[in-house]
Amino acid sequence: MHCRIYFNKTLFVFLFQLIVAVVLFSPVSAQESLKIDIFGPGQDRINIFVTQPRPLENTAIQDSQYPLEIQSLLRKNLNLLPFLREVPEGEILGGPEVQGVRGTDIDFRKFNLSRVDMIITIGIDQSQGLPGSVELRAFEVFGQRMVLGKAYTLHASDQLPQMVRRFCAELMEYLTGQGGFYHAKLAFEKKQGDIKEIWTVTPLGHDLEQITNIGAIALSPDWSKDSKKVAFTLLKDNQHSLGVWNRETGETDVHNLPGNTVIAPAFAPNGRLSVSIDPMGRPDIYWLTEDFRMDRAIMEHWAIDVSASFDSQGKKMAFASGRLGNPHIFVLDLETNRVQRVTYEGRYNTNPSICPEGRYIAFTRQTPDGHRIFLADLETGRERQISFGPGNDEDPSFAPDSYFIAFSSSRGGKYDLYLTTRNGDRPVMIPTGPGHATAPAWGIE
Amino acid sequence: MNRKKLFILMILLLSLVLSYGCGKKAVDAPGDPREISAEERARLAEEERRKAMERQAMEERRLQEERLAREREQTQDERQAQEIVDEILATRIHYDFDSYELRPEARKALQQISEHMKRFRELRLVIEGHCDERGTAEYNLALGERRARAAYEFLILLGVGSDRMQIISYGEERPLDPRSNESAWAQNRRAEFKVLQ
Repeated sequence: MHCRIYFNKTLFVFLFQLIVAVVLFSPVSAQESLKIDIFGPGQDRINIFVTQPRPLENTAIQDSQYPLEIQSLLRKNLNLLPFLREVPEGEILGGPEVQGVRGTDIDFRKFNLSRVDMIITIGIDQSQGLPGSVELRAFEVFGQRMVLGKAYTLHASDQLPQMVRRFCAELMEYLTGQGGFYHAKLAFEKKQGDIKEIWTVTPLGHDLEQITNIGAIALSPDWSKDSKKVAFTLLKDNQHSLGVWNRETGETDVHNLPGNTVIAPAFAPNGRLSVSIDPMGRPDIYWLTEDFRMDRAIMEHWAIDVSASFDSQGKKMAFASGRLGNPHIFVLDLETNRVQRVTYEGRYNTNPSICPEGRYIAFTRQTPDGHRIFLADLETGRERQISFGPGNDEDPSFAPDSYFIAFSSSRGGKYDLYLTTRNGDRPVMIPTGPGHATAPAWGIE
Repeated sequence: MNRKKLFILMILLLSLVLSYGCGKKAVDAPGDPREISAEERARLAEEERRKAMERQAMEERRLQEERLAREREQTQDERQAQEIVDEILATRIHYDFDSYELRPEARKALQQISEHMKRFRELRLVIEGHCDERGTAEYNLALGERRARAAYEFLILLGVGSDRMQIISYGEERPLDPRSNESAWAQNRRAEFKVLQ
């Protein structure tokens, strides 16, 4: 006990001196905001604490269910960000309670001593009905200032997840400059019996929805850049065809293309769709016209060419090709038509996904332990493994922020969707219910 | 005495001549149609009709026998065709990992199929290409196409018309054996044949 008091006093004195030093010698830095460079080496962590919900002034919390659900949702959503570490309540010296939701109600010193970098408060006003009005605030502990404050009025309980996602998106935007992750909706294949249909889900596993009902095998979904369409391969009636689901109508159109294959449709940033078809008797990558008819070839070769993936500028197309005998990853410069080999290691490299900013390609490599996700850096030519099984890790898909990567893995006994980052952070499973879930693709909700 | 004998002979001759004349007259009498009775005509017509019916019955029997023979032959053909269809459906050709090269036993099986296809001209095939689960889905979809196409092109070389075949790749979506071991993977790397009716 004595030791602990001594330690705390020492720490307090040290911190006090540090604060004085910082204020005296570099006053600007004290005002600097808490920021995370998600494109850095991935070592930075922010310690965050979500406080208990508090009633807003002159009101009382009549129903504690909704406030606690908001707190739980906040924790779950923020837990998806690998650079945030949630500080457990027991680690808050002097107890985790706050007097209110504003800066003046918070004893920042105890949180500072507990190494908390950021506090989220939840204010509830149920005087006008349930779930009521909600105020969410984020404070930087060191600077003792609010960096984000949002007020919401909720009329139905199903608005809670969306409200929390919006707040988290703004918080992530503040911290990293990228907030799109919380507006994401993933399309993926879900297998039930012999049938595969296309489903959608948010990164936290909310709003799980089956969008096709074809009773056949639907594969390799890809969102159009405006997220109004999902294109996919359809195996039905002894042939391949192209399925295009329209978000506005909820209907799926089926288009037949020349040849026998329709593999891995992929939208380019200009809205055009590419797909591997074999009018020449070998799967090559072609552009399709706006009305989904065969246009010119992008990549023709006697070997297999599949799995096109485009950067956000439409300058580069990554793809998998069997031209060297085994499948390897290549990147085509769409301006110069020059093909660059990306993978030299391994004998089976497939499923490339180029990050929108164009520097990295995530891909699947077969290793003696199963498939693993690797990341190739086009600038340095280096690559590193970012997933480690067990089972098979496949289908990496870069998010629009070039930071998150969704993939499918059989590590849990069946294939499920997981989230990691290009730094290879600990994968988080996306709940999608029973049945194998594979081939995630990023869109916007 | 001689005169008496001669007289008797003359009498006999005369009676013979007379009797001949009478006999002839008696035979010629019914030859006149005006003299055939209605009853006789009916009898003759009945006779004719009976004979015609017998001829018709014989003809029908012959036709029936021919038909039965034909049917027997047809049933045999159908049975043979069904046997051929069953044989084609049971044919599976297997491939090495990440390969679409036809092995010698695959060529032999395709030879057999081509002979069936030449014999039964109405047969049309779907050739399915399949892969094991060890690769990844999209590349396997392309590899399955190459496997089915290798079989398709070999059958074309053997003289089967391209208009009688179509190909589809199922990639790794339809494994024969869902287990994850070497023998299951070897079974799952295959081309299969379906008969279009």
